[in-house]
Amino acid sequence: MIGISHYLILSGLLFSIGFMGVLRRKNLLMLFFATEVMLNAVNIAFAAIGNYYGDLSGQMFAFFIIAVAASEVAVGLGLLIILYKKYHTLDLDVISTMKG
Amino acid sequence: MEHILTILIFFPLLAGILGFIVDRDSAKAYGISVAGIEFLLSLWLWFSFDMDNADMQFTEFLPIIKEFGISYNVGVDGISLFIVIMSAMITLIGIISLNEEKIDNIKNMIVSLLFLEMTMIGVFVALDAIMFYIFWELSLVPMLYIIGAWGGPTRVYAAIKFFLYTFAGSLIMLVGLLSIAYLYHLETSVWTFNLLDWYQLDLSVNLQYWLFLALFIGFAFKVPMFPFHTWLPHAHGQAPTIGSVILAAVLLKMGTYGFVRFSLPLFPDASVQMIPMIVVLSIIMIIYTAMVAFAQKDMKQIIAYSSISHMGIIMIGIFAMNSEGLSGAIFQMISHGMVSGALFLLVGIIYERTGTKLMSKFGGLASIMPVYATIFGVMLMASVGLPLTIGFVGEFLVLLGFYKISPMATVIAGTSIIIGAIYMLSLFKKSFFGEVTNESNRGLKDLNAREITALLPLVAIVVWLGIYPKPVLKPIDNSVQKLLIDMKYKARTPEAKKSIISIQRAKEEK
Amino acid sequence: MENLVYIALFAPFVGSLFAGLFFARSPKNIVVGVVNSALIFISLLASIALAIHVVEHGAIHVTMMDWITVGGLHIPFGFVVDEVSVTMMVVVTMVSTVVHIYSNGYMDHDKSFNRFFSYLSAFVFSMMVLVMSDNFAGLFIGWEGVGVCSWLLIGFWYHKKDVTPDINPAISPSYAANEAFIMNRIADLGMLIGIFLIYWNVGSLQYDIVFEKLPHLGDGILVAIAMALFIGAMGKSAQFPLHTWLTDAMEGPTPVSALIHAATMVTAGVFLVIRANPIYSLDAVSGVSYFIAALGTFVAFFAASMALVNRDLKRIIAYSTLSQLGYMFAAAGLGAYWIALFHLAAHAFFKALLFLGAGNVMHAMNDELDIFKMGGLKKVMRGTYLYMGVASLALAGIPPLAGYFSKDAIIETAFNEGTYILWFALVFTAGLTAFYSFRQVFLTFEGEERYKKFGFHPHEMYRYVLIAMSPLAILAIITGWFKGSFHEFIIRLLPDYEMSHHTHHNAWWLGLLVLAFAVTGIIIAYMKYARKGDKAFKQDKEVESGFLYKLLINQYYIPAFYTEYIVKPYSALSDKFWSIDKAVVDATVDFIAKVIYKTGDRTRVIQNGNLSSYLNWMGVGAVLLILASAVAVVIG
Repeated sequence: MIGISHYLILSGLLFSIGFMGVLRRKNLLMLFFATEVMLNAVNIAFAAIGNYYGDLSGQMFAFFIIAVAASEVAVGLGLLIILYKKYHTLDLDVISTMKG
Repeated sequence: MEHILTILIFFPLLAGILGFIVDRDSAKAYGISVAGIEFLLSLWLWFSFDMDNADMQFTEFLPIIKEFGISYNVGVDGISLFIVIMSAMITLIGIISLNEEKIDNIKNMIVSLLFLEMTMIGVFVALDAIMFYIFWELSLVPMLYIIGAWGGPTRVYAAIKFFLYTFAGSLIMLVGLLSIAYLYHLETSVWTFNLLDWYQLDLSVNLQYWLFLALFIGFAFKVPMFPFHTWLPHAHGQAPTIGSVILAAVLLKMGTYGFVRFSLPLFPDASVQMIPMIVVLSIIMIIYTAMVAFAQKDMKQIIAYSSISHMGIIMIGIFAMNSEGLSGAIFQMISHGMVSGALFLLVGIIYERTGTKLMSKFGGLASIMPVYATIFGVMLMASVGLPLTIGFVGEFLVLLGFYKISPMATVIAGTSIIIGAIYMLSLFKKSFFGEVTNESNRGLKDLNAREITALLPLVAIVVWLGIYPKPVLKPIDNSVQKLLIDMKYKARTPEAKKSIISIQRAKEEK
Repeated sequence: MENLVYIALFAPFVGSLFAGLFFARSPKNIVVGVVNSALIFISLLASIALAIHVVEHGAIHVTMMDWITVGGLHIPFGFVVDEVSVTMMVVVTMVSTVVHIYSNGYMDHDKSFNRFFSYLSAFVFSMMVLVMSDNFAGLFIGWEGVGVCSWLLIGFWYHKKDVTPDINPAISPSYAANEAFIMNRIADLGMLIGIFLIYWNVGSLQYDIVFEKLPHLGDGILVAIAMALFIGAMGKSAQFPLHTWLTDAMEGPTPVSALIHAATMVTAGVFLVIRANPIYSLDAVSGVSYFIAALGTFVAFFAASMALVNRDLKRIIAYSTLSQLGYMFAAAGLGAYWIALFHLAAHAFFKALLFLGAGNVMHAMNDELDIFKMGGLKKVMRGTYLYMGVASLALAGIPPLAGYFSKDAIIETAFNEGTYILWFALVFTAGLTAFYSFRQVFLTFEGEERYKKFGFHPHEMYRYVLIAMSPLAILAIITGWFKGSFHEFIIRLLPDYEMSHHTHHNAWWLGLLVLAFAVTGIIIAYMKYARKGDKAFKQDKEVESGFLYKLLINQYYIPAFYTEYIVKPYSALSDKFWSIDKAVVDATVDFIAKVIYKTGDRTRVIQNGNLSSYLNWMGVGAVLLILASAVAVVIG
């Protein structure tokens, strides 16, 4: 039987994959994908826990997150395209302009 | 003239601000007249000072932040009176000695000096801890600028070192001051930073101990006590003559003054307990720096290190815990101000003429510049503590007073009269005696009118106060005796009561 | 009478200011010499008038004004003219007057003529303060004052450059001046400690109060006071081991040597012991007193031995001064204070005369001091020969001159006290004294005219200078004759010292023995140094390479020892301390500053502007926070 723990493990694994992606990826687009993976990992956890407690708030939050992620991707991809037009690359090492 | 102290503090400030719009050519004349008026005002303070009154005089009180008991609170007693007069006098003499041709941007120099004068006088008359602290810190700024703008090749390093070093110390002091206010609040549920109120505070010995240490760090960095002295040779080495004069004559005295004004009356038991530590540091300071002075090749460095050594004498006098030693220490502050100020001026004069301070470049100067050599000789004798010069009275009283605390330590500290003579006489011999080794020195001119005007008053005071120190010693002694009586009254531990010797003057005059 | 006291005291001071303020920068002005000499003479007259007053009416005590008043300490400028101080005043002003007049001639060609008189008069003033003060602090003023004047005058020819010790053992006048000042300072510290001890145990520094309260003090404190004051006396009076400065002080002009380093300043230590006799005659400090006597005797012999071989005219006399100071301390240590004072006075006269005579010789010989280059000068310098002969006879203790009466009394005292070792050492030293002083006189004035080889053209001193010296010569002869009346006068203040019956009984052969030693010394000197022709004196290379000669000519290697083991290590240690100051103390501070600076510099890398690394750091931070909260939960 697939229980709550399986869902949570899946969510944790997905989150770790996304987290590693955020840390290691140099390409901005890939960073976006990684954040999306993390968000969806959280979504899975929300939905699973909501179901487990019989409380709909978990699933509501998952929807909220999906909505926010969608708008974020829309704005973010727009910015990415502008950046790409300007630098012809999305490599973070190349387009770092702030100097400490 | 009720507000004489306020005038003394803020007149240089206002004059300094106005100084920005003065024409460059008349800047020096402007500076002399402002400092001159200030000096006359300080003399007026002396003449209207009640010599038989040991308490604070000319006090003014104006609450600023009532909720926290912070106020504008000033006053002088015998202890601070002469330091105030000396600050005004040294500033005047310093400005007179400025050479307009050699110093660019003289206007800024004059303005900085006037700001500095305000902060110095402010520190010595402040009776509110916050006000004291503010003036204490403000005094760093003009000095930082003077060293950093007109100094030698590594002036920025020296100036920053001077600033950060003393600033670090005074922050710890600030923590100490705030804790005292807090403790006072705990006891009386009143917030106050009034020093005279603080004097009533009765602290446990353990608390006294920690607060003493916090204030000690602030004061000791300024004095400067061994091993916190190393900023001083750098500062003196790089500072222009006028900077060194004021630094040695007045700014160092802030540290020792702090001990007298804060540490002794607030923490009598801790002060007595700390005597061994202070004495060991002071003795190291006296002997070690005197020997380092002997090793120097640069005239100015010798005098810088000798300053540290003399400050050591003042330190042991302060912790002699009797009227002889403490009055002697305060007199020695005046004496050291005059003598080291004059010596730095003298070194500045030869530096201005030859562009060097190295003794190896001189030799036989006595034949070329007899007046210069004579004045240098007088100051040298005052510096080694010859009787009938100002230097003897203080040194003698300090050692005499400290003998009561520890004969052995006095013998060791007393070697300063030997090693002091060694480095000063060898300086004099190397620079002034012998054949003229450097041919280019033959054309040197003796002192000109400007330099003599600056130096003669110092010579006169050095001799006058050496022969007749009474007008200065008496008010000092009055206030010191009051301080000691209060300390003895306040002391909790029996050994502190035993060490502090207060003499009722009435009994004495019988 | 008060006015006379002030005249005696301040006349020299006025002279000093007159010369110093008005003529310091002008060329030689004879007015300065005359006025200053006249002022010192006035001081002499006032001192004599005071002496007569003291004889008739007793001591005078004046208080001019307060000096230091702090806490319980009260020091006035007070002066006391009593039997002891008036004796010193007369001696000081007497010798000073002669020396001032003499200096008019001697410093004739010196470009710093005016400056010289300013210093010299200042010295007389300081010396008067020293002897006249009524308290220990006042004494200390004079004590340091004479020290500074001595520094100024030894280094009077400051323009001479340093040379190595084998050319001139004193290196240079300025070096010798510093040496004298610093050595004296070492002793002054002892003196200061003595003053502190007195103050904290008595509560005053006035002589009369201190001496009155002495019986109430503990033995340990009394011994400490006596030792501390004597350490002060050792410096000023150049007693072993602080003696080396005195011979080097001969770098000063000869009148200075006569006045300061023979007649007056160096006797200040003896004066101090005499002045403080109530301390030194207490039973509790008899150990210290005996030490003083023993040290004095040792120095008497020690200095005489070095004088035996020296070739330098002035240094020989300096050693003899040292030796005679030893005699004075021996007498004072044995309790015969009045005899010490009497010898002090007699010695001042004949020793000043001897030095001034030496000055005449130097003047004649273009400042040559090596007596081996002189000889046979009696033809050209008859007057000087006479004076130096008289002075040397007095020094050697030949009757009826002054030295016989005073020195013999000291030797008799040593016999009387039963300290036979001291007694014999003093008798033997008397023989040495006679030998070296006549060795010097004969080498200078008798024998072959060796100076001709070196191309000198000696000439006698000015006539007025010779006449001015005559009072000293007369005093060197007659002082001894007044021993009886002086005794009567001085014991009104000083404790009397009477010889025991036994000593009285033996006095005749004791005196004869001393005389025999002295005469033998003179005869040996004559045989060896005064003859001409075949028997004329020649340098003996064999003796000069001997161990003893080397030891003596190098002053027992004491100056070398001081240089090697005190001066050099002190310099080295100073340099060491300086490098420690830079490399340890200052470096620690800089290190702290550097650590903070470097930390900032290293952590700046975080802020590199790279989004990816920002994200990495953010991740690290998040993980750390989670870990921290997990740890907190586990612990909590």
